[in-house]
Amino acid sequence: MSTVASSRQAGALYWPVQLRRNVGVRGLFAVVMAFLVAYGFLFPGLLTASGFAKFTQSWFPLALVAMAQAILMLTGGISLAIGAMVSLGAVIAATTMTGPLGVAGGAAAVALTGIGIGGATGFIVVKLRLPAIVVTLAGSFIIGGAALLILPRPGGAIPEWLSDLLAGNTPAAFVLLVLIVLLWKLYLATPLGLSLYAAGENPVGAYRSGVPVDGARVAAYAISGLLCTGAGLFVAAQTGSGDPVIGTAFTLNSIAAAVLGGIGFLGGQGTMRGALAGSLLLSLMISVMFFLGFTPVAQYVAQGLIIIGAVAIPQFRKVQQ
Amino acid sequence: MGGRRTLTILRSRPFLTLAIVAAVWIAASFVSRGFGAYGHLRYLVELAAVIGLVAAGQTFVVIAGGIDLSVAAIVTVSAVSLPLLSWQADPTGLTAVLAVLALTTTIGLVNGLGVALLRVHPMIMTLAMATFLQGLLIIIAGGSAVTAENPLVRWLGNARPAGIPAGVLLWVAVSVIVLAAMHATSFGARLFAIGANPLAATLSGVPVASTTLAVYAISGFTSGLAGVLVLGMNGQGYVGIGDPYLLASIAAVVLGGTSILGGLGTYAGTIPGAILLVTITALITVVNASPGWRSILFGSLILGLLLLSGREQARR
Repeated sequence: MSTVASSRQAGALYWPVQLRRNVGVRGLFAVVMAFLVAYGFLFPGLLTASGFAKFTQSWFPLALVAMAQAILMLTGGISLAIGAMVSLGAVIAATTMTGPLGVAGGAAAVALTGIGIGGATGFIVVKLRLPAIVVTLAGSFIIGGAALLILPRPGGAIPEWLSDLLAGNTPAAFVLLVLIVLLWKLYLATPLGLSLYAAGENPVGAYRSGVPVDGARVAAYAISGLLCTGAGLFVAAQTGSGDPVIGTAFTLNSIAAAVLGGIGFLGGQGTMRGALAGSLLLSLMISVMFFLGFTPVAQYVAQGLIIIGAVAIPQFRKVQQ
Repeated sequence: MGGRRTLTILRSRPFLTLAIVAAVWIAASFVSRGFGAYGHLRYLVELAAVIGLVAAGQTFVVIAGGIDLSVAAIVTVSAVSLPLLSWQADPTGLTAVLAVLALTTTIGLVNGLGVALLRVHPMIMTLAMATFLQGLLIIIAGGSAVTAENPLVRWLGNARPAGIPAGVLLWVAVSVIVLAAMHATSFGARLFAIGANPLAATLSGVPVASTTLAVYAISGFTSGLAGVLVLGMNGQGYVGIGDPYLLASIAAVVLGGTSILGGLGTYAGTIPGAILLVTITALITVVNASPGWRSILFGSLILGLLLLSGREQARR
């Protein structure tokens, strides 16, 4: 009887709590909406099926790496090996999927590599107590080297039907993204997921309260690795082949997206919806600048200024108050 | 008393790193003929000088609790913009070098402004600065390499007064100044206070903002100096010339025993750290492996060395 009442009460509390978690990112959501409208004006095809498909496909890998970085930052970690992991996922997909392993075997190889390397990184950072930034920086060389060994120069192939399915005129990317977000919600309900924020916000306090801090952090690294190699698989499907250095830009962009989305560096601060909105904003910015005819150079300059502005302006307001 | 002091030195991280360098050098000279030759070792130290200069600024920033991810871009800015500045009125080329150093110091100062006054996280501020500079460099230099005609820069890269490369002499001079500033001035004391506990430092009256500004400006200055040196050794500057020095500078700092979390460390460890890095790279070149294996070996060796000595305390 009482359990029913309390669960109903919890149900009634769910939406108010979720709304309150939006407070920090409301401004960001408004900016994203403004950019979406601007993008819709510049590129009216956005509202057609193929335009929507293309748009979500250009956003999808960035969304995945932003999530990968956000999970780590929520637990107080960080990864500078995101780009190398994306490259490794891409070359494994491009070399296995047309071989004897087939698409299913190739996808499994990509997923296992991501979880394995991510888990190993987590083990080194958490159990052997080395600083995450240095481990992942050294790791980016090892992982990037492995990608070069598997595929020394761009090549390999992805079955055409898979490329058409993932990166053709289908909303497959968007459907996948929705699925991943739902899985994330499910994960947050598991014991390890529940420990995630506690482990990031106050590791010592959480540890003394019996929260599996180390387990939650290692699991976060494993999930992060899986998301990165998954993004690599998608990028390989987009280009139809593998490239050992294709992921390089994702390291900076994943951090930028997470920070734009309000994820803090100290752990436990921010929400996944914020990180996703941040990645959408970054992706929109790149597209809008492209349509406005900005040269790649001007894009670099503008991107640098926007990131600093986006992080500094809220701080400014805080100081004035 | 004296014995205990000797023991402390023997157990310290800088000494440990130095011992590793010596062991690697001795082992390598047995395995590979020519590795231990004076000319080769001198060449290694000359290469280490560039990393050592970049890592000097990085050590300041890391001890103060920050990190500078824009050093590679600043090295490139320095090496690319210097050849573009030449005055007929100044035959020594000194004004051009000073102008470039002023420019890179200003870039560092802007980093410091963002971190100290706008309160942007150092990693974001310096990464965004690197992105910004990358765009600016392509505007300035395009894709082509530019040749340095500056006599002073050429002297720095090629001259060997008394058999010692001028770059190494420069590194020694900078090292003395850095070590003195870090361990024998009130500025150095404030540096460690900020890195250990910024709140406590503020409450104790440490001028956090101006010290932070100074730290990033120093990093801009030493990176600029490294850019001048690498330009002199290379003869040409091009976009991307500074790229290897980002990981190298951070790795040298951490291998030398400075905590990446701030508040603990010394440049005396960074110096052997830089030499160790160059030695590892040279050994990997000797092995004659493919680029993939070389990259794997480099990363694994750094990770292995960190496991030996870079671990943090357990949580209790």
